[in-house]
Amino acid sequence: MSAPSASHPAGQVNVWAVVARTFLLALLVCLGIVVLYPLIWMALNGFKDNSQIFGDPFALPAGWSWANYVQAWNQGVRNYVTVSLIVTVASGICTVLISAWTAFGLTRSRMPMKPIVVGFVLGGLMLSPTVALIPLVKMLQSMGLYNTYWALIILYTAFRVPFTTFLIRAYMLDLPRDLDEAATMDGASEGQVFWRIILPLCRPIIISCVILHVLFAWNEYLFAMIFTSGADLQTLPVGLTSIMARHGTNYAVVFAAMTISALPIVVIFFAAQRYFIRGLAEGIGK
Amino acid sequence: MTGMDHPVSAVAGSGAPRRGGLGTLPSFRWVAIAVILVGWFVYYPIVDNFVVSTTNQDIYTGEIEYVGLDNYARLLDDPVVWISLRNNLLYAAISVVFQVFAAFLLAAVIEGLESERSRRFWRAVYFVPSAISITVTGLLFYFIYQPRIGLLDAGLSALGLGALSRPWLGSEDTAIYAIIAMSQWQGFGYSTLLFGLAIQKIPRELYDAAIMDGAGPLRRLWNVTFPMTREMTGLMIIVTITGAFQVFNEVMVMTAGGPNNSSQVLGTWLYQQGFIQNEFGYGAAIAAVIFLVTLVTGMAQLWYTRHRRVQL
Amino acid sequence: MKRSSHVVAVAAASALALSAGPGSAREAVVADPNAKVEYSGTLSILTKFGLQQLSPYFVNVAKEYEKLHPGVKIELIQESDDSVKGKTKTLVASNSLPDIYFSWTGSWGENFVRGNRAVDLTKVVGPDTPWGKTLSPAAVKAFEYNGKLYGIPLYLDAKFMGYNKPAFEKAGVGVPATFEKLLEACDALRKGGTTPISLGNKEAWPAVHYAGQLLAYNVPTATLERDFDPARAKFDDPGYVASLAQFKALVDRCTDGAAVNGTSYASSLQAFSNADSAMYYQEIIEFDQAASADTKLKGADFGFFRLPPPAAAKGDVKAIEGAPEGYMINTASKKIPLAIDFMKFVTAPENARVLSAPPYGQPSAAIDGASEATMNPAVVAGLKDIASASYLMPWLDTANTPRVAAAWLSSLQALVGGTMTPEAVMAEVKKASAADAKRK
Repeated sequence: MSAPSASHPAGQVNVWAVVARTFLLALLVCLGIVVLYPLIWMALNGFKDNSQIFGDPFALPAGWSWANYVQAWNQGVRNYVTVSLIVTVASGICTVLISAWTAFGLTRSRMPMKPIVVGFVLGGLMLSPTVALIPLVKMLQSMGLYNTYWALIILYTAFRVPFTTFLIRAYMLDLPRDLDEAATMDGASEGQVFWRIILPLCRPIIISCVILHVLFAWNEYLFAMIFTSGADLQTLPVGLTSIMARHGTNYAVVFAAMTISALPIVVIFFAAQRYFIRGLAEGIGK
Repeated sequence: MTGMDHPVSAVAGSGAPRRGGLGTLPSFRWVAIAVILVGWFVYYPIVDNFVVSTTNQDIYTGEIEYVGLDNYARLLDDPVVWISLRNNLLYAAISVVFQVFAAFLLAAVIEGLESERSRRFWRAVYFVPSAISITVTGLLFYFIYQPRIGLLDAGLSALGLGALSRPWLGSEDTAIYAIIAMSQWQGFGYSTLLFGLAIQKIPRELYDAAIMDGAGPLRRLWNVTFPMTREMTGLMIIVTITGAFQVFNEVMVMTAGGPNNSSQVLGTWLYQQGFIQNEFGYGAAIAAVIFLVTLVTGMAQLWYTRHRRVQL
Repeated sequence: MKRSSHVVAVAAASALALSAGPGSAREAVVADPNAKVEYSGTLSILTKFGLQQLSPYFVNVAKEYEKLHPGVKIELIQESDDSVKGKTKTLVASNSLPDIYFSWTGSWGENFVRGNRAVDLTKVVGPDTPWGKTLSPAAVKAFEYNGKLYGIPLYLDAKFMGYNKPAFEKAGVGVPATFEKLLEACDALRKGGTTPISLGNKEAWPAVHYAGQLLAYNVPTATLERDFDPARAKFDDPGYVASLAQFKALVDRCTDGAAVNGTSYASSLQAFSNADSAMYYQEIIEFDQAASADTKLKGADFGFFRLPPPAAAKGDVKAIEGAPEGYMINTASKKIPLAIDFMKFVTAPENARVLSAPPYGQPSAAIDGASEATMNPAVVAGLKDIASASYLMPWLDTANTPRVAAAWLSSLQALVGGTMTPEAVMAEVKKASAADAKRK
């Protein structure tokens, strides 16, 4: 996995190359600061109070008291995290299972009009949630799902199945057929082939899909804002805006809440970077 | 290696043998859930949206009045629709510059680093904001942009540039640009990462050959890297434009479209009309505009990925 | 003006829309004073007390009520001043309004009445009923529509200019008697180095509140009320443009100018509490937040006055902007008697007094709900001012139809930002009103 070296003209030592190199490195570092500093500032502000946040924005906190973090956690964030977890996990499981199931059908089984089915499911990729908003409000209300966990779980699943199916299907297309053909010869049913052979083989892409789904569901705002109303059903992104409204002026608590809500996803990203990147690489077709 | 070639075959049929027939009908059980789910919650609402857009509804009384295409006529007369369209276009144009072209250059620089560890490090650093919820980054930048006391103005005055400070989100001239800037900050790492992946796949021999020909780094960038990632660039442009027409969260969180509707985009104007001013029908007509634009870009994307397959 | 409009089912296509349409034709519901209360089940309430300092009020009242009636569970949906508008509309659109919900007076409340979503409470809260006798009659009457009463007023509200007494002394200014004097006071304060008035207009309604009070001063009341109704509105009174010009002068001379559009109202209140600004235009229900034991501005240093009227005012100079705020009962509720019983409990004197006193400081609409012993003296004094007002000017953004309200909100932001003239603002408002008239 060697990458093209942009700054090493075939072994020659060149003054310009050194200058260019230094310049590029400086650029990378500056950009890195621009990217990371606001986030660090956010986390640090959780340790300050209002007058420090606005009076001396660049200073380190006077002390490292967790009080604001504790207060944020106890005054809502805990509930929001719980709701976000429930919705993310439930919709993640539904999405990945249904998508794997569908992808299997689209790659391994025989059915009439398959291209149409493929087009139908994957075509959903092109439709934006915003456009469906008003009809969905009426639909979920008439189904009695408004302001329930189910509203978000179903919507997140329905809107993510096309994309996830697309990823898993692409992966399945690449899997060698010998294994499942051999199993079929031995009398295994389609169901057995799916659960025992294909699904385990798809583990890497499944993990990528799970991670991408977590990224989506944990951060989703539009549906969560429209389809839930009670404080006990607010997900983190919606809860954050309401913390902002409720705490009026205690900004340190707001910063603490923001940090708490951003942290898990950043940790997951660093822990599972490989899968993250694979998922993104596959998903660029979206 | 599974990778970028897949989107290519996205909708272009499948590798499985196509022998249909009645005996194969039970196979539909594999796709039934997805088809029902997507049909019901993704496709049907789009159709219903057009029905709603031909009505005016009073949410309080539940009365529904059929008005034909009046709501579409009203779109043309509504200055905020034009402001929104302009803002969406600005969003698209600026995002293409930063999230496609600048990100491409940055990716080339990163992939040119010698050690794999530092390449991985920089990719990860720039990606971090993309992993964070827009609500969080929106609120964060709301504080950064606070007049005088915010981080940006404090930074400017620390650098002796205090004269430049202004109410970034509170001025009609700057609000939308401030939001777009936040969006670039958040999004460029994502596309840098993707370009990085594309650059990694360029065969090493091409660079070796270019070096033999005496090509310097810039020439190699222009003659090898750029053409070899052209497909990715095209795709990214389309994806970025589509995204720019679906923008909602960042505007909602930072300005809700203000001041004086100057930072309104189609998504937030739809919300404002449908959910704040009780104009479901008109909101649906705005949604139809978003649908139309994203349909066109989506088609372009489909055409592009298929077309590319033919070329390869 | 005319369009072939008919309320119809448009064949098969829109039958889809209709089937899922927001609650087709509801029936009016009249509350029965003799209905038996069944103390069981869950009662849901949408409140406007989501703010940190206020939210314990309903939490505590609900706890006490649940203790009294163990079979009842109270479910609270607490929203903030800002978020309650959007939330209410989403709840209406999805037919999921709770049993009891917050409402402003004016066109806001009228919507619920028009859609038969508010229970007619005349027989339980009317002036001659036992409950009605415990509530301020004017406050109850503020929720009157078509001669019937639909709301339970919880507290009174009005807008006052709060000021920092030491800052005024330091700058050598007194409480201004006219609007012109106020502007002069601003100049003096600014010379002394303080921001005269902190104004945060990111949410757009703070400017609308200033405009509302100035309109009441400059435009005759009958003209104002006529113009609330799009069908009759003209918006031709010269007092409109005059009011806006006055407001613009105030923005330029007293506040941070165009920057205020980027500041939230919460941070401008914060600036006042921090003694960073000398004045903040606030609702009486904010008095206890503006100055308390925890803020830099102490209660003893807090003073208030009514926004002074301009010298040449042609309207009602004794008018004050404000209105009671209260709650309505959902006609779709299955527990109307229980909901009424709970609201009786909320407005009972002992609970009302808690509401009036710090830290809540929401002056109760219950007659026995004010106890000068426990209340902030500023709130007590403010209540007297409200009682002496000749006219209560409703908030512009809840008195007008949504489209006209939206025009006020966004074009006043433009006026503040310097991109629209007073005349242009009025043209926008007129246009919105005309568009609404056309629809009806």
